[in-house]
Amino acid sequence: MRRLLSLTTPLAVIGTSLILVACGTGDSNDNNSSGGKSGTVTGGPGVDVAAKTIRIGDINALTGPASALGKPVAAGHRAFFKALNAKGGIDGWQVRLTIKDSGYAPQQHVQLYRAIRNDVALLNSFGSPTTKAIQALLDKDKLVTTPASFDSIWGDDPVIAPVGTPYSYDIANVLDYYTHSGKDKPKIGIIYQNDEYGQDGLRGYVAAKKALGFGDGGKQTFKAGDTEFTAQIQKLKAAGAKAVVVVALPSSTGPIVGTGAALGFKPQWILQGPAFLEQLITKDGSLDAKPTPVAGALKGALVTSFSAAWGDPKAPGMKGVVAAHDVYEAGAPPSIYFALAYAAGEVQAAILKKAIEDGDLSRAGILKAKENLGKVDLGGVSPSLEYTPKGGPPSTKSLITRIDPSVDGFLKPVEASYGSKVADTLGTGK
Amino acid sequence: MTQFLQLLFQGVALGATYALIALGFVVVYRASGVINFAQGAMLLAGAYTISWLATDVGVPFLPAVLAAVALLALAGAGFQIAVLRRVSGEPTFVLVMITIGAGIAVTSLMEALFGTDPRLLGDPWGSTSFAVGDVTINWVKVWGIVVTCAALAAYFCFDRYTRWGLATQATAEDEEATLSLGVPVRRVHLITWAMAGALATLGGLFLAGFPASPQPSIGDAALRAFPAIVLGGLRSPTGAVVGGLVIGLTEVMTSGYAPSSLGDNFYAVAPYIAMILILLVRPYGLFGRAPAERL
Amino acid sequence: MLAVVVVFAIVLPFALNAAQLATATFVVIAAIGATGLNVVTGYAGQISLGHAAFLGVGAYTGAVLGADHGVTAFIWIPAAGVVAALLGAVVGPVALRLRGLYLAIVTLGLIFIAQHVFFNLDGLTGGPQGRAFPAVQLASFDFSPGQVLDLGGITIDSSGLYYFLGLILLAAATAFAWNLRRTRSGRAMVALREREAAAAVMGINVGRLKVTAFVVSSAMAGVSGALYGSYLSFAQPDQWSLLLSIQFIAAIIVGGLGTTAGPVLGCAVVFALPSLLKQLPFLPEEGSGGLSAGDLTSITYGLLIVAFLTLEPRGLVGIANRLRRTGNGSDVGSSVTPKLTVTTPEEAHP
Repeated sequence: MRRLLSLTTPLAVIGTSLILVACGTGDSNDNNSSGGKSGTVTGGPGVDVAAKTIRIGDINALTGPASALGKPVAAGHRAFFKALNAKGGIDGWQVRLTIKDSGYAPQQHVQLYRAIRNDVALLNSFGSPTTKAIQALLDKDKLVTTPASFDSIWGDDPVIAPVGTPYSYDIANVLDYYTHSGKDKPKIGIIYQNDEYGQDGLRGYVAAKKALGFGDGGKQTFKAGDTEFTAQIQKLKAAGAKAVVVVALPSSTGPIVGTGAALGFKPQWILQGPAFLEQLITKDGSLDAKPTPVAGALKGALVTSFSAAWGDPKAPGMKGVVAAHDVYEAGAPPSIYFALAYAAGEVQAAILKKAIEDGDLSRAGILKAKENLGKVDLGGVSPSLEYTPKGGPPSTKSLITRIDPSVDGFLKPVEASYGSKVADTLGTGK
Repeated sequence: MTQFLQLLFQGVALGATYALIALGFVVVYRASGVINFAQGAMLLAGAYTISWLATDVGVPFLPAVLAAVALLALAGAGFQIAVLRRVSGEPTFVLVMITIGAGIAVTSLMEALFGTDPRLLGDPWGSTSFAVGDVTINWVKVWGIVVTCAALAAYFCFDRYTRWGLATQATAEDEEATLSLGVPVRRVHLITWAMAGALATLGGLFLAGFPASPQPSIGDAALRAFPAIVLGGLRSPTGAVVGGLVIGLTEVMTSGYAPSSLGDNFYAVAPYIAMILILLVRPYGLFGRAPAERL
Repeated sequence: MLAVVVVFAIVLPFALNAAQLATATFVVIAAIGATGLNVVTGYAGQISLGHAAFLGVGAYTGAVLGADHGVTAFIWIPAAGVVAALLGAVVGPVALRLRGLYLAIVTLGLIFIAQHVFFNLDGLTGGPQGRAFPAVQLASFDFSPGQVLDLGGITIDSSGLYYFLGLILLAAATAFAWNLRRTRSGRAMVALREREAAAAVMGINVGRLKVTAFVVSSAMAGVSGALYGSYLSFAQPDQWSLLLSIQFIAAIIVGGLGTTAGPVLGCAVVFALPSLLKQLPFLPEEGSGGLSAGDLTSITYGLLIVAFLTLEPRGLVGIANRLRRTGNGSDVGSSVTPKLTVTTPEEAHP
């Protein structure tokens, strides 16, 4: 009898409570904007018209497997906007950054996004899997976002403004370069991270294999943060791969290449951009520091990069980058990720400037400004970009480099702006 | 064939490191009935301490290792004095949870102090290797096997031929009776935890060796060593060694030969599956005995 | 006393800001799972480190039924409990063969195996990338973010809706557990916890009891996990990790093992701690180097577990009882917290 009671009581409680509330739920209008107009500019979320302040969000990866990349990105954002504000902001509007840390974990990213979504006018979002996790929410909120990620899927999405060539295009281009447009047909394998970031590299590899017809060296995957790769390397070695594309984060690249060396496997390593970091070659990334154990194995690897070398005199935009770094973030190590974030800041400033000129800083206004931005010249820091309502990748050419431990930054440019027919067969992925 | 020999060597090397870790668990368990869930944190602390001394402070490598071993041994003993001694009457569950809590605190402390990026270990052998036929033999793994053997030999000598070893065995058998005989049981516990710290440092040293490096994921290796101690029976040092070797070999062989239909990274769960299957047949491990229970 | 607690729980959301309400909602949802763990570990004395696996199974059941097949929450919430209970029924018999720490390690293995399965069944779980979880939709109530419920002047947002649903289910679970403790099965579980061999000798069907404990525990975990995933709206397989299991164990210990109020109190401490610590004034701004809030949370968390267990192993309920006793001056004996007695065979001297 008691046993029965122990079931009916909770059931009764549930039932009654549900019946009690008779109506249903409805939509809310919870936009946190001190809107209204000031002069001729409409406000929106994240915009304080009275104080002429715009807030930009930044969900970064300051801890976790991508922190070595995320920290310079955060530093670059901070430096750009501090410099911008010092120069008077955008037509007198000041910009404030809200930086959060999701640790490259998609679910953390979602939580943080939900927390800040009503307080920001623009967003920086670090990482491919993380940005993918909030993509549906971004589309719903119509929040223009510059991701620190070059996944090709962003090309299709009007609210997302990537600032460089998609990964799949980079891989297609570099494989075209390596096989001399299909003249050579060695066995090429790929080892890729098992998430959206890796998927895009895989897209490029698959398209290139189909178009160029090289041999199959095997496809191996791993989880972000993994450090044990004996299985994958063994299989690549057994398949006889002469070259291996690596789509990983630096914390995995070291063990991957290192395990290869430990097992006597020395293919031509081809690293997708974010797989490389200066600290893979020397202890702190600077030229004269102590070399790491994997530096030898990494020599001669090909790397698809996305920004000019630090302080490159051939890139006029670099002056601004270096100046902002030295004044505002001198403690951060010089890094292409810093320059990348700086370039993203320039894109965001350009979008905001256009929106202010058009008098509309609401979500819709900012989106319209982004779609009609047209060409953006980044002074050689990154390849120049173009945003149109048609969408598509903002750039399709790749910067191909080779690892050389004797030059500053360790990357020696091989091809400054390499394009290929293979890349053209790629759409914007799915 | 080359692949088999290469993997065999890797497996023995990994097994040696697991044997060290497993021994650290068994040493503590025998004396006090506690499974030290903070072992992973101690591995991490050991690796980071060596790295810090050897690369940041600039101490030569061998003194750095010895200093780190001494520091961790002190830390282990200190933990015993400060915390465990106060709760010595409490049930095992409480003690285990305390070690879990301490483990979490220490791991996060390491991350706060040293960051999460990989560091240089500062070892002299780095990525050097030599070839035997087609098989690549890394020096770091050779040293791992050598040091493990030395540590095991030292422990067995301690256990069998010294008075403190005898005292430890007695405490493990029956603490109250040993106490009543006038044996300084407190000191036995101190020594036990100090040994755990020392063994963890050595384990951490080789876990952080090429191609790995000192980084937070090293602590997880302690979890992978659990099947080793379970296989061997929680109280048996010999079992720990055998268990460690078996698990190391299983992990590496599985990574080389497992079909992909079993999923990525199957090698990480294979030891646990093996452990569960063995436990279903022998509930007290391969070398353990069912204890007699007095009602 | 109970009335005060109920009123407090109902009124609480209206006094909290958005972030605090989110924390409170997590606490309530987690407490459902903690109540379940309290049954198998607190009442029956079976150490289970694998609780997170049952949460995960419940969460993915809810996701697959709710999002992939468009089933209503009226079905997928209970279904999550049922599927998790089935897994519990499989694990229970394993507990028959194993005792004490061996069982703990096997349940640890359960976590790894579950994670391996979750990571590889990427059709169901999204693989390492993770997947979106469905918002609860009960008849005309939609719990999606951005939806609000208007009750004649009182507005309840999506967080609040999850809070109240969680509260209802928590009340049900707590009532069930409280009642269970007083039935024959409950008393048998306690006997099992105290001395398994003696319980068997007295005629208790130890096997069936262990299975029952695991089934009840995992059913609650399944429901908790389904709500957890739904509220998170997005989760990766490594969410259901050893750390999550440990958080639940810490919660029931800190609260008071084997007590009725223990799970809720413990979850309040364990799951609210990270957000509390993030508000500390002396932490540097996020991302500018130095001690991060995340690290500080973990360090404090670990130290709290150590401190609590060193100083008051009976948990918060034990502290409350102690205070009450010093206040009354005598041992009332009404709710004496059972001392943690999860015996391992090795403790019994031959």
